[in-house]
Amino acid sequence: MKTDVFIAGDCIISPLGMGSKLNFEQLLTGETAIAPVDDATLADHRIHAARIADHQWIGKIRNASGYTRLETLFILAIQQLIDAHSIPVDRRTLVLLSTTKGNVSLLHNPEAQFPENRIYLAEMAHAIQHYFGFANAPITISNACISGALALSVARQLLQYSDTYDQALVVGGDEISKFIVSGFEAFQALSDGRCRPFDRDRNGLNLGEAIAAAYVTKKATDDAVRIKAAASFNDANHISGPSRTGEGLYRSIREAMQLAGEPMLDFISAHGTATVYNDEMEAIALHRAGLSDTPLHSLKAYYGHTLGASGLLETILGIHSLRANRLIPSLGFQHTGTSKPLNLITQPTERPLGTFLKTASGFGGCNIAMIFEKV
Amino acid sequence: MDVPSHYIQSYCTIRDRSIALNGTTWLKMDSSTTLADFLKSAYRQLDIDYPKFHKMDGLCKAIFIATELMTRDSGPYPSDTALIFSNRSSSYLSDNKHALGIFNTENATASPATFVYTLPNIALGEISIRHRLHSENVFFIFDRYSPEFLVPYTQAALDDKKLANAISGWTEISGHTCDLLLYYIGKSGSVPHTVAQLKRIYNEHE
Repeated sequence: MKTDVFIAGDCIISPLGMGSKLNFEQLLTGETAIAPVDDATLADHRIHAARIADHQWIGKIRNASGYTRLETLFILAIQQLIDAHSIPVDRRTLVLLSTTKGNVSLLHNPEAQFPENRIYLAEMAHAIQHYFGFANAPITISNACISGALALSVARQLLQYSDTYDQALVVGGDEISKFIVSGFEAFQALSDGRCRPFDRDRNGLNLGEAIAAAYVTKKATDDAVRIKAAASFNDANHISGPSRTGEGLYRSIREAMQLAGEPMLDFISAHGTATVYNDEMEAIALHRAGLSDTPLHSLKAYYGHTLGASGLLETILGIHSLRANRLIPSLGFQHTGTSKPLNLITQPTERPLGTFLKTASGFGGCNIAMIFEKV
Repeated sequence: MDVPSHYIQSYCTIRDRSIALNGTTWLKMDSSTTLADFLKSAYRQLDIDYPKFHKMDGLCKAIFIATELMTRDSGPYPSDTALIFSNRSSSYLSDNKHALGIFNTENATASPATFVYTLPNIALGEISIRHRLHSENVFFIFDRYSPEFLVPYTQAALDDKKLANAISGWTEISGHTCDLLLYYIGKSGSVPHTVAQLKRIYNEHE
């Protein structure tokens, strides 16, 4: 059994605002969510990061005191999608959550205001299930920085090859915590200013916060986008360092392209974290795949690295780019900074767009490539 | 009933201080043994030289041992063997260690060697390196072992990419307890890859 699977609705909550259309428009005007952050609960010095403000979520849901900050944000995004598309909460709806660390900010934190069992991702899933009365317990995917895109791929596989579900809500999110800031700092992976993906002078990433949600269905609506192909391969090389040959990403791109029938790509939404080694690895993989000349952006200088949301967030913005026939510039890029040059988008160019490639890579050596096309 | 398209080639369980391959006990230790000492003894009993093992956290070590035992029984894993894992506590052992370090009021520290293990899919990276697997990895989090979700998903993933092999299962390691069932799936055999079969295997050592 093989049916096509589509993304027929989406929602973004980010520091740039609520709603994916608004977020897309902000990008075209060059808005960035990254700002200096002086917060002793995150680090004992200034960092540059993109954080969702309190007024965006406090007091916006029922029984608000029963839900953590991250759960509240997930609930807000899911509510938007359910309202916009009248999605049933019965057995035929699969809910997939994508997060790297969920409520980990509560762990051993003397300032935590929730019981520590809430750090378990299954508890977070229960809270969200209970809020909406979903018949199925939400399934959580925690697969490092490819989680968001991988969750879309898993939803597609289940809708395409199993008759268990009619539609899926795929929701990704993570929040910035001392847990995450201290870890990325220990890796010396944080930039000292706004990050510069693929640029010669890039020196690390910014952490960001966003919730991104997609309504995945077997029914094509007029403005739906088809999930044309997805492929994911491990580097089998190193658990924290990107492969020098880009092996896993290269294989992911090649297989996705082959499965999609070798389409002409109008643009590539790269992972582009702006660490020295990640961006170099991506450039090598794209060069090997013969895609060095395809217009490309990384959205990390707008949002920072939003971890479990990133693959989904950047896919949704890519979809809006397709619909509006406008290419989103790659903010922060000035000078070629990879051994294999890429064709970075520098202006919000208007042209007919039909197909794009989304890639992501993460710790553990995981990689994913997905191809989306207009219906 | 449909003819199953995939079969269980071998399976490994680790329950508290006991390891079994295809239902036959391979190592059993006293319940007072620490998890760390137990996993170290299992590594010694494997009689291999793989220094990276000692850097891993408990989740990775338990998964490493189980996949090592299954390959001894079923032969080398093909490089496109999909990895479809699940547990409840994600990477709790390393999360706990990292959080204790950063909230230590005397001497707050964060170590990259700990932080890298604060993702459950790192274990999939470790076994991909060990067995040279360039394949699809997914790590799911459930409340409890859920073959009702895992079996149809694994079947969908294998059908999608026309794959013959996968390693799948439940790998719950938290604090001092261990509840692991991993199974290696292939195209032929006598034990079908079905929800009922896996429920039976999961419960046989309760």
